[in-house]
Amino acid sequence: MASVYLLILKRFIFFTLLQGLIFNNFDFFDIYDPYICLVFLITFPIKINKITFMIISFFFGFVLDLYSDSIGINAAACLSIAFLRSYILSFVFGSFYDPHGVKLIKNYVTESTFSQKFLYLSSVIIIHHLIIFSLETFSFNFISLVIYKTLITFSISLIFCTTFIYIMIENEK
Amino acid sequence: MQQIIDFIIRKKDVVVYFILLSLSLALILNSNYFQKSKVLLLSNNISNYTKENLNFFNEYFKLKEVNFQLSKENLDLKNKLEKTNINKGLDSLRNLNFSYKNAKVISNNLSSFKNKIIINKGSNDGVKSEMGVISSNGIVGIINNTTPKFSSIISILNIEMKINAKVKRTKHFGTLEWDGFNTRHLMLNDISETANIKVGDTIVTGGMSLIFPEGINIGIVSEIINQNEFNDSVVRFVGNINKAKYLDFEFKENYLNVEVKLHNDISNLNNVYIIESFNKQEFQKLKE
Repeated sequence: MASVYLLILKRFIFFTLLQGLIFNNFDFFDIYDPYICLVFLITFPIKINKITFMIISFFFGFVLDLYSDSIGINAAACLSIAFLRSYILSFVFGSFYDPHGVKLIKNYVTESTFSQKFLYLSSVIIIHHLIIFSLETFSFNFISLVIYKTLITFSISLIFCTTFIYIMIENEK
Repeated sequence: MQQIIDFIIRKKDVVVYFILLSLSLALILNSNYFQKSKVLLLSNNISNYTKENLNFFNEYFKLKEVNFQLSKENLDLKNKLEKTNINKGLDSLRNLNFSYKNAKVISNNLSSFKNKIIINKGSNDGVKSEMGVISSNGIVGIINNTTPKFSSIISILNIEMKINAKVKRTKHFGTLEWDGFNTRHLMLNDISETANIKVGDTIVTGGMSLIFPEGINIGIVSEIINQNEFNDSVVRFVGNINKAKYLDFEFKENYLNVEVKLHNDISNLNNVYIIESFNKQEFQKLKE
Protein backbone atom coordinates (compact mmCIF):
# COMPACT_ATOMS: atom_id res chain seq x y z
CA MET A 1 0.00 0.00 0.00
CA ALA A 2 2.85 2.36 0.82
CA SER A 3 4.30 1.90 -2.66
CA VAL A 4 0.99 3.07 -4.16
CA TYR A 5 1.13 6.30 -2.18
CA LEU A 6 4.75 6.79 -3.24
CA LEU A 7 3.68 6.38 -6.87
CA ILE A 8 0.88 8.93 -6.36
CA LEU A 9 3.33 11.39 -4.78
CA LYS A 10 5.73 11.01 -7.73
CA ARG A 11 2.93 11.56 -10.25
CA PHE A 12 1.59 14.50 -8.22
CA ILE A 13 4.91 16.36 -8.42
CA PHE A 14 5.54 15.34 -12.04
CA PHE A 15 2.15 16.44 -13.37
CA THR A 16 1.99 19.74 -11.47
CA LEU A 17 5.41 20.74 -12.78
CA LEU A 18 4.59 19.51 -16.30
CA GLN A 19 1.31 21.43 -16.43
CA GLY A 20 2.49 24.53 -14.59
CA LEU A 21 5.79 25.12 -16.31
CA ILE A 22 5.40 23.62 -19.79
CA PHE A 23 1.79 23.08 -20.86
CA ASN A 24 0.43 26.34 -19.40
CA ASN A 25 2.75 28.14 -21.83
CA PHE A 26 1.81 25.92 -24.76
CA ASP A 27 -0.42 28.57 -26.38
CA PHE A 28 -1.88 26.70 -29.33
CA PHE A 29 -3.38 29.46 -31.57
CA ASP A 30 -2.35 31.90 -28.79
CA ILE A 31 -5.12 31.02 -26.33
CA TYR A 32 -5.69 27.25 -26.11
CA ASP A 33 -3.73 25.20 -23.56
CA PRO A 34 -4.03 21.40 -23.29
CA TYR A 35 -4.83 20.14 -19.78
CA ILE A 36 -2.35 17.26 -19.46
CA CYS A 37 -2.93 17.27 -15.68
CA LEU A 38 -6.12 15.27 -16.26
CA VAL A 39 -3.97 12.15 -16.83
CA PHE A 40 -3.27 12.20 -13.09
CA LEU A 41 -7.00 11.99 -12.32
CA ILE A 42 -7.83 9.54 -15.13
CA THR A 43 -5.16 7.00 -14.18
CA PHE A 44 -5.50 7.42 -10.40
CA PRO A 45 -5.48 3.93 -8.74
CA ILE A 46 -9.05 2.74 -8.25
CA LYS A 47 -8.45 0.80 -5.02
CA ILE A 48 -7.80 4.02 -3.09
CA ASN A 49 -10.62 5.24 -0.88
CA LYS A 50 -12.86 7.85 -2.54
CA ILE A 51 -12.54 10.43 0.23
CA THR A 52 -8.73 10.23 0.09
CA PHE A 53 -8.94 10.59 -3.69
CA MET A 54 -11.09 13.73 -3.37
CA ILE A 55 -8.76 15.35 -0.81
CA ILE A 56 -5.65 14.56 -2.88
CA SER A 57 -7.20 15.92 -6.08
CA PHE A 58 -8.37 19.06 -4.27
CA PHE A 59 -4.78 19.81 -3.30
CA PHE A 60 -3.62 18.82 -6.78
CA GLY A 61 -5.94 21.45 -8.25
CA PHE A 62 -4.86 23.95 -5.63
CA VAL A 63 -1.18 23.59 -6.61
CA LEU A 64 -2.17 24.03 -10.28
CA ASP A 65 -4.01 27.21 -9.26
CA LEU A 66 -0.83 28.65 -7.80
CA TYR A 67 0.82 28.29 -11.21
CA SER A 68 -2.04 29.79 -13.20
CA ASP A 69 -2.88 32.63 -10.74
CA SER A 70 -6.51 31.58 -10.48
CA ILE A 71 -7.44 30.73 -6.93
CA GLY A 72 -9.84 27.81 -6.43
CA ILE A 73 -10.92 27.24 -10.06
CA ASN A 74 -8.71 24.22 -10.82
CA ALA A 75 -9.32 22.92 -7.29
CA ALA A 76 -13.10 22.90 -7.81
CA ALA A 77 -12.79 21.24 -11.24
CA CYS A 78 -10.37 18.50 -10.11
CA LEU A 79 -12.46 17.84 -6.99
CA SER A 80 -15.62 17.42 -9.06
CA ILE A 81 -13.86 14.98 -11.40
CA ALA A 82 -12.70 12.97 -8.39
CA PHE A 83 -16.27 12.86 -7.09
CA LEU A 84 -17.83 11.95 -10.43
CA ARG A 85 -15.21 9.46 -11.66
CA SER A 86 -16.69 6.34 -10.04
CA TYR A 87 -20.11 7.15 -11.54
CA ILE A 88 -18.58 7.72 -14.98
CA LEU A 89 -16.59 4.47 -14.73
CA SER A 90 -19.61 2.37 -13.76
CA PHE A 91 -21.71 4.05 -16.46
CA VAL A 92 -19.15 3.55 -19.23
CA PHE A 93 -17.65 0.15 -18.36
CA GLY A 94 -20.76 -1.42 -16.84
CA SER A 95 -20.08 -4.77 -15.20
CA PHE A 96 -16.40 -4.63 -16.19
CA TYR A 97 -15.83 -1.90 -13.56
CA ASP A 98 -15.11 -3.19 -10.06
CA PRO A 99 -15.14 -0.58 -7.28
CA HIS A 100 -12.66 -2.52 -5.11
CA GLY A 101 -9.84 -2.02 -7.59
CA VAL A 102 -8.64 -5.57 -8.25
CA LYS A 103 -8.21 -4.60 -11.91
CA LEU A 104 -5.53 -2.04 -12.73
CA ILE A 105 -5.83 0.87 -15.12
CA LYS A 106 -3.70 -1.19 -17.51
CA ASN A 107 -6.51 -3.76 -17.77
CA TYR A 108 -9.05 -1.05 -18.54
CA VAL A 109 -6.91 0.19 -21.42
CA THR A 110 -6.14 -3.20 -22.95
CA GLU A 111 -9.41 -5.06 -22.42
CA SER A 112 -12.07 -2.49 -23.32
CA THR A 113 -13.44 -1.44 -26.69
CA PHE A 114 -12.50 1.78 -28.47
CA SER A 115 -15.87 3.45 -27.85
CA GLN A 116 -15.65 2.76 -24.11
CA LYS A 117 -12.20 4.34 -23.85
CA PHE A 118 -13.29 7.32 -25.95
CA LEU A 119 -16.45 7.87 -23.90
CA TYR A 120 -14.58 7.70 -20.58
CA LEU A 121 -11.83 10.12 -21.65
CA SER A 122 -14.12 12.57 -23.39
CA SER A 123 -16.70 12.75 -20.60
CA VAL A 124 -13.99 13.42 -17.98
CA ILE A 125 -12.33 16.07 -20.17
CA ILE A 126 -15.56 17.85 -21.17
CA ILE A 127 -16.89 18.02 -17.59
CA HIS A 128 -13.54 19.35 -16.35
CA HIS A 129 -13.30 22.02 -19.05
CA LEU A 130 -16.91 23.13 -18.65
CA ILE A 131 -16.41 23.63 -14.91
CA ILE A 132 -13.12 25.50 -15.38
CA PHE A 133 -14.34 27.91 -18.07
CA SER A 134 -17.72 28.61 -16.51
CA LEU A 135 -16.15 29.33 -13.11
CA GLU A 136 -13.63 31.57 -14.84
CA THR A 137 -16.28 33.78 -16.44
CA PHE A 138 -18.77 33.32 -13.56
CA SER A 139 -21.71 34.82 -15.45
CA PHE A 140 -24.40 33.62 -17.85
CA ASN A 141 -23.66 36.37 -20.36
CA PHE A 142 -20.64 34.56 -21.77
CA ILE A 143 -22.21 31.10 -22.13
CA SER A 144 -21.55 30.81 -25.88
CA LEU A 145 -17.87 31.75 -25.34
CA VAL A 146 -17.60 28.99 -22.73
CA ILE A 147 -19.10 26.30 -24.97
CA TYR A 148 -17.02 27.32 -27.99
CA LYS A 149 -13.79 27.32 -26.01
CA THR A 150 -14.63 24.03 -24.27
CA LEU A 151 -15.06 22.22 -27.59
CA ILE A 152 -11.77 23.44 -29.06
CA THR A 153 -9.72 22.87 -25.89
CA PHE A 154 -11.36 19.43 -25.52
CA SER A 155 -10.06 18.26 -28.88
CA ILE A 156 -6.50 19.36 -28.05
CA SER A 157 -6.57 17.88 -24.55
CA LEU A 158 -7.98 14.59 -25.85
CA ILE A 159 -5.08 14.10 -28.25
CA PHE A 160 -2.43 14.91 -25.64
CA CYS A 161 -4.02 12.85 -22.85
CA THR A 162 -4.49 9.78 -25.07
CA THR A 163 -0.89 9.92 -26.23
CA PHE A 164 0.37 10.35 -22.71
CA ILE A 165 -1.67 7.46 -21.27
CA TYR A 166 -0.40 5.10 -23.98
CA ILE A 167 3.20 6.16 -23.28
CA MET A 168 2.66 5.46 -19.55
CA ILE A 169 1.15 2.02 -20.23
CA GLU A 170 3.97 1.08 -22.61
CA ASN A 171 6.56 2.07 -20.01
CA GLU A 172 4.92 -0.07 -17.33
CA LYS A 173 5.28 -3.18 -19.50
CA MET B 1 -30.99 11.51 15.64
CA GLN B 2 -29.54 8.05 15.11
CA GLN B 3 -31.02 8.00 11.62
CA ILE B 4 -29.46 11.33 10.69
CA ILE B 5 -26.01 10.16 11.81
CA ASP B 6 -26.50 6.92 9.88
CA PHE B 7 -27.48 8.88 6.80
CA ILE B 8 -24.38 11.10 7.04
CA ILE B 9 -22.11 8.07 7.49
CA ARG B 10 -23.71 6.36 4.51
CA LYS B 11 -23.36 9.45 2.29
CA LYS B 12 -19.99 10.59 3.63
CA ASP B 13 -18.54 10.94 0.09
CA VAL B 14 -21.17 13.51 -0.80
CA VAL B 15 -20.70 15.40 2.47
CA VAL B 16 -16.92 15.62 2.00
CA TYR B 17 -17.44 16.67 -1.63
CA PHE B 18 -19.73 19.55 -0.75
CA ILE B 19 -17.50 20.74 2.12
CA LEU B 20 -14.46 20.89 -0.21
CA LEU B 21 -16.50 22.41 -3.04
CA SER B 22 -17.79 25.20 -0.83
CA LEU B 23 -14.22 25.81 0.34
CA SER B 24 -13.01 26.25 -3.25
CA LEU B 25 -16.01 28.42 -4.16
CA ALA B 26 -15.26 30.61 -1.14
CA LEU B 27 -11.69 30.96 -2.43
CA ILE B 28 -12.95 31.98 -5.89
CA LEU B 29 -15.47 34.51 -4.61
CA ASN B 30 -13.13 36.11 -2.08
CA SER B 31 -10.29 36.72 -4.51
CA ASN B 32 -11.72 39.72 -6.32
CA TYR B 33 -9.79 42.28 -8.27
CA PHE B 34 -8.30 45.16 -6.30
CA GLN B 35 -8.41 43.05 -3.17
CA LYS B 36 -5.29 41.71 -1.61
CA SER B 37 -5.65 38.05 -0.80
CA LYS B 38 -3.11 36.14 1.21
CA VAL B 39 -3.29 33.14 -1.09
CA LEU B 40 -2.14 35.19 -4.05
CA LEU B 41 0.74 36.54 -1.99
CA LEU B 42 1.77 32.99 -1.16
CA SER B 43 1.41 31.91 -4.75
CA ASN B 44 3.52 34.82 -5.92
CA ASN B 45 6.27 33.75 -3.59
CA ILE B 46 6.25 30.07 -4.55
CA SER B 47 5.52 29.92 -8.25
CA ASN B 48 7.09 33.18 -9.37
CA TYR B 49 10.55 32.23 -8.22
CA THR B 50 10.48 29.09 -10.34
CA LYS B 51 9.07 31.06 -13.25
CA GLU B 52 11.73 33.74 -12.86
CA ASN B 53 14.49 31.16 -12.96
CA LEU B 54 12.99 29.59 -16.08
CA ASN B 55 12.77 33.03 -17.69
CA PHE B 56 16.50 33.50 -17.12
CA PHE B 57 17.14 30.93 -19.85
CA ASN B 58 14.29 31.95 -22.12
CA GLU B 59 15.53 35.53 -22.28
CA TYR B 60 18.64 34.53 -24.22
CA PHE B 61 16.58 33.21 -27.10
CA LYS B 62 14.70 36.48 -27.41
CA LEU B 63 17.72 38.82 -27.20
CA LYS B 64 17.85 39.57 -30.92
CA GLU B 65 14.21 40.59 -31.10
CA VAL B 66 14.40 42.70 -27.95
CA ASN B 67 17.45 44.56 -29.24
CA PHE B 68 15.63 45.34 -32.46
CA GLN B 69 12.59 46.66 -30.60
CA LEU B 70 14.67 48.83 -28.29
CA SER B 71 16.67 50.39 -31.11
CA LYS B 72 13.45 51.16 -32.97
CA GLU B 73 12.03 52.80 -29.89
CA ASN B 74 15.21 54.83 -29.38
CA LEU B 75 14.86 56.15 -32.91
CA ASP B 76 11.27 57.18 -32.28
CA LEU B 77 12.19 58.96 -29.06
CA LYS B 78 15.05 60.83 -30.72
CA ASN B 79 12.73 62.02 -33.45
CA LYS B 80 10.25 63.23 -30.84
CA LEU B 81 12.99 65.05 -28.94
CA GLU B 82 13.95 66.96 -32.07
CA LYS B 83 10.42 68.18 -32.57
CA THR B 84 9.82 69.49 -29.04
CA ASN B 85 10.92 73.00 -28.29
CA ILE B 86 13.50 72.90 -25.51
CA ASN B 87 13.29 76.60 -24.76
CA LYS B 88 9.63 76.39 -23.78
CA GLY B 89 10.21 76.71 -20.04
CA LEU B 90 13.09 76.29 -17.69
CA ASP B 91 11.02 74.77 -14.86
CA SER B 92 11.15 71.09 -15.68
CA LEU B 93 8.57 70.10 -13.05
CA ARG B 94 5.88 72.56 -14.09
CA ASN B 95 4.11 70.58 -16.77
CA LEU B 96 5.05 67.15 -15.50
CA ASN B 97 1.96 64.94 -15.40
CA PHE B 98 3.24 61.39 -15.76
CA SER B 99 6.39 59.51 -14.85
CA TYR B 100 7.54 56.14 -16.19
CA LYS B 101 9.18 53.08 -14.64
CA ASN B 102 10.44 50.10 -16.58
CA ALA B 103 9.77 46.47 -15.67
CA LYS B 104 10.22 42.99 -17.07
CA VAL B 105 7.47 40.44 -17.73
CA ILE B 106 7.83 37.20 -15.72
CA SER B 107 4.70 35.28 -16.63
CA ASN B 108 2.20 35.97 -19.38
CA ASN B 109 -0.54 33.51 -20.11
CA LEU B 110 -3.32 34.04 -22.66
CA SER B 111 -5.31 30.85 -22.18
CA SER B 112 -7.77 32.25 -19.63
CA PHE B 113 -10.76 34.54 -20.20
CA LYS B 114 -9.36 36.86 -17.52
CA ASN B 115 -5.69 37.05 -18.37
CA LYS B 116 -3.10 38.35 -15.98
CA ILE B 117 0.52 39.35 -16.53
CA ILE B 118 3.11 39.32 -13.73
CA ILE B 119 6.08 41.70 -13.73
CA ASN B 120 9.17 41.94 -11.56
CA LYS B 121 8.53 45.31 -9.88
CA GLY B 122 6.44 45.57 -6.74
CA SER B 123 5.53 47.92 -3.94
CA ASN B 124 9.22 48.19 -2.96
CA ASP B 125 9.74 50.04 -6.26
CA GLY B 126 6.74 52.31 -5.74
CA VAL B 127 4.24 50.42 -7.87
CA LYS B 128 0.65 50.80 -6.71
CA SER B 129 -2.63 49.38 -7.96
CA GLU B 130 -4.55 51.16 -10.76
CA MET B 131 -1.43 52.38 -12.55
CA GLY B 132 -1.38 52.00 -16.32
CA VAL B 133 1.10 49.75 -18.13
CA ILE B 134 2.29 50.22 -21.73
CA SER B 135 4.91 48.68 -23.96
CA SER B 136 6.83 50.38 -26.75
CA ASN B 137 4.03 49.54 -29.24
CA GLY B 138 0.86 50.25 -27.28
CA ILE B 139 -1.10 49.67 -24.12
CA VAL B 140 -0.81 46.45 -22.08
CA GLY B 141 -3.11 46.75 -19.06
CA ILE B 142 -3.69 48.11 -15.58
CA ILE B 143 -1.92 47.09 -12.34
CA ASN B 144 -4.22 45.05 -10.14
CA ASN B 145 -2.31 43.73 -7.17
CA THR B 146 1.17 44.27 -5.75
CA THR B 147 3.47 42.35 -3.45
CA PRO B 148 6.88 43.66 -2.27
CA LYS B 149 8.70 42.21 -5.29
CA PHE B 150 6.06 41.45 -7.93
CA SER B 151 2.83 42.90 -9.23
CA SER B 152 0.06 41.52 -11.39
CA ILE B 153 -1.50 43.33 -14.33
CA ILE B 154 -5.01 42.88 -15.70
CA SER B 155 -4.21 42.56 -19.38
CA ILE B 156 -6.30 44.27 -22.07
CA LEU B 157 -7.13 40.71 -23.14
CA ASN B 158 -9.66 40.30 -20.32
CA ILE B 159 -13.40 40.08 -20.92
CA GLU B 160 -14.15 42.41 -18.01
CA MET B 161 -11.67 45.13 -19.03
CA LYS B 162 -13.08 48.36 -20.44
CA ILE B 163 -10.74 51.08 -21.67
CA ASN B 164 -11.65 54.55 -22.84
CA ALA B 165 -10.34 55.16 -26.37
CA LYS B 166 -10.92 57.59 -29.23
CA VAL B 167 -10.49 57.83 -32.97
CA LYS B 168 -7.51 60.09 -33.61
CA ARG B 169 -8.89 61.76 -36.73
CA THR B 170 -12.51 62.45 -35.75
CA LYS B 171 -12.09 62.62 -31.91
CA HIS B 172 -15.06 60.30 -31.26
CA PHE B 173 -14.94 58.41 -27.95
CA GLY B 174 -15.73 54.74 -27.38
CA THR B 175 -15.06 51.76 -25.11
CA LEU B 176 -12.53 49.05 -25.91
CA GLU B 177 -13.46 45.45 -25.06
CA TRP B 178 -12.06 41.98 -25.79
CA ASP B 179 -14.14 39.23 -27.44
CA GLY B 180 -12.45 36.33 -25.60
CA PHE B 181 -10.72 34.64 -28.55
CA ASN B 182 -8.86 36.90 -30.92
CA THR B 183 -5.60 38.06 -29.35
CA ARG B 184 -4.72 40.52 -32.13
CA HIS B 185 -8.03 42.40 -32.24
CA LEU B 186 -10.19 44.37 -29.80
CA MET B 187 -13.70 45.73 -30.28
CA LEU B 188 -14.41 49.45 -29.97
CA ASN B 189 -18.06 49.89 -28.98
CA ASP B 190 -20.40 52.78 -28.19
CA ILE B 191 -19.31 55.02 -31.07
CA SER B 192 -22.18 57.02 -32.50
CA GLU B 193 -23.34 56.13 -36.01
CA THR B 194 -22.84 59.66 -37.27
CA ALA B 195 -19.07 59.35 -36.83
CA ASN B 196 -17.41 59.15 -40.20
CA ILE B 197 -14.98 56.33 -39.44
CA LYS B 198 -13.05 54.56 -42.19
CA VAL B 199 -10.97 51.40 -42.27
CA GLY B 200 -7.38 52.36 -41.48
CA ASP B 201 -8.08 55.11 -38.94
CA THR B 202 -5.78 55.22 -35.92
CA ILE B 203 -7.21 54.51 -32.45
CA VAL B 204 -5.49 56.18 -29.46
CA THR B 205 -6.17 56.30 -25.71
CA GLY B 206 -8.77 58.85 -24.65
CA GLY B 207 -7.07 60.26 -21.57
CA MET B 208 -10.30 60.59 -19.59
CA SER B 209 -9.27 58.57 -16.55
CA LEU B 210 -5.63 59.65 -15.96
CA ILE B 211 -4.56 55.99 -15.93
CA PHE B 212 -3.14 56.38 -19.43
CA PRO B 213 -1.94 59.69 -20.86
CA GLU B 214 -3.85 60.91 -23.88
CA GLY B 215 -2.76 59.83 -27.34
CA ILE B 216 -0.94 56.53 -26.85
CA ASN B 217 -1.29 54.39 -29.96
CA ILE B 218 -3.50 51.33 -29.63
CA GLY B 219 -4.16 50.13 -33.15
CA ILE B 220 -5.93 50.74 -36.44
CA VAL B 221 -9.50 50.13 -37.56
CA SER B 222 -9.65 46.86 -39.49
CA GLU B 223 -13.39 46.28 -39.85
CA ILE B 224 -16.59 48.23 -39.22
CA ILE B 225 -19.49 45.97 -38.32
CA ASN B 226 -22.86 47.11 -39.53
CA GLN B 227 -25.58 46.18 -37.12
CA ASN B 228 -28.20 45.29 -39.76
CA GLU B 229 -25.79 42.92 -41.42
CA PHE B 230 -25.20 41.23 -38.11
CA ASN B 231 -28.87 40.46 -37.58
CA ASP B 232 -28.86 38.38 -40.75
CA SER B 233 -25.65 36.65 -39.80
CA VAL B 234 -27.23 35.09 -36.72
CA VAL B 235 -29.02 32.86 -39.20
CA ARG B 236 -25.72 32.14 -40.94
CA PHE B 237 -24.11 31.29 -37.60
CA VAL B 238 -23.97 27.57 -38.25
CA GLY B 239 -22.19 28.11 -41.54
CA ASN B 240 -19.78 30.72 -40.25
CA ILE B 241 -18.49 29.84 -36.79
CA ASN B 242 -16.19 32.88 -36.77
CA LYS B 243 -19.16 35.14 -36.18
CA ALA B 244 -19.70 33.39 -32.84
CA LYS B 245 -17.32 35.85 -31.24
CA TYR B 246 -19.69 38.72 -31.93
CA LEU B 247 -22.62 37.03 -30.19
CA ASP B 248 -21.76 38.23 -26.73
CA PHE B 249 -21.65 41.92 -27.54
CA GLU B 250 -24.53 44.23 -26.99
CA PHE B 251 -25.55 45.68 -30.32
CA LYS B 252 -27.26 48.96 -29.51
CA GLU B 253 -29.20 50.99 -32.01
CA ASN B 254 -27.45 54.00 -33.55
CA TYR B 255 -24.05 52.85 -32.35
CA LEU B 256 -21.16 51.45 -34.37
CA ASN B 257 -19.05 48.42 -33.46
CA VAL B 258 -15.51 48.69 -34.77
CA GLU B 259 -12.86 45.99 -34.84
CA VAL B 260 -9.42 47.34 -33.95
CA LYS B 261 -6.19 45.63 -34.97
CA LEU B 262 -3.61 46.03 -32.19
CA HIS B 263 -0.09 47.33 -32.84
CA ASN B 264 0.94 45.41 -29.76
CA ASP B 265 1.50 41.64 -29.69
CA ILE B 266 0.52 40.75 -26.12
CA SER B 267 1.73 37.16 -26.50
CA ASN B 268 5.29 38.39 -27.03
CA LEU B 269 6.00 40.96 -24.32
CA ASN B 270 9.37 41.57 -22.68
CA ASN B 271 9.89 45.10 -21.46
CA VAL B 272 6.95 47.17 -20.23
CA TYR B 273 6.64 50.65 -18.75
CA ILE B 274 4.53 51.53 -15.72
CA ILE B 275 2.88 54.96 -15.81
CA GLU B 276 2.45 56.93 -12.60
CA SER B 277 0.13 59.93 -12.70
CA PHE B 278 0.90 62.88 -10.42
CA ASN B 279 -2.46 64.59 -10.67
CA LYS B 280 -4.65 61.59 -9.91
CA GLN B 281 -5.80 62.59 -6.41
CA GLU B 282 -6.60 66.12 -7.52
CA PHE B 283 -8.58 64.76 -10.46
CA GLN B 284 -10.56 62.32 -8.35
CA LYS B 285 -11.44 65.03 -5.81
CA LEU B 286 -12.93 67.10 -8.62
CA LYS B 287 -14.88 64.13 -9.93
CA GLU B 288 -16.60 63.54 -6.59
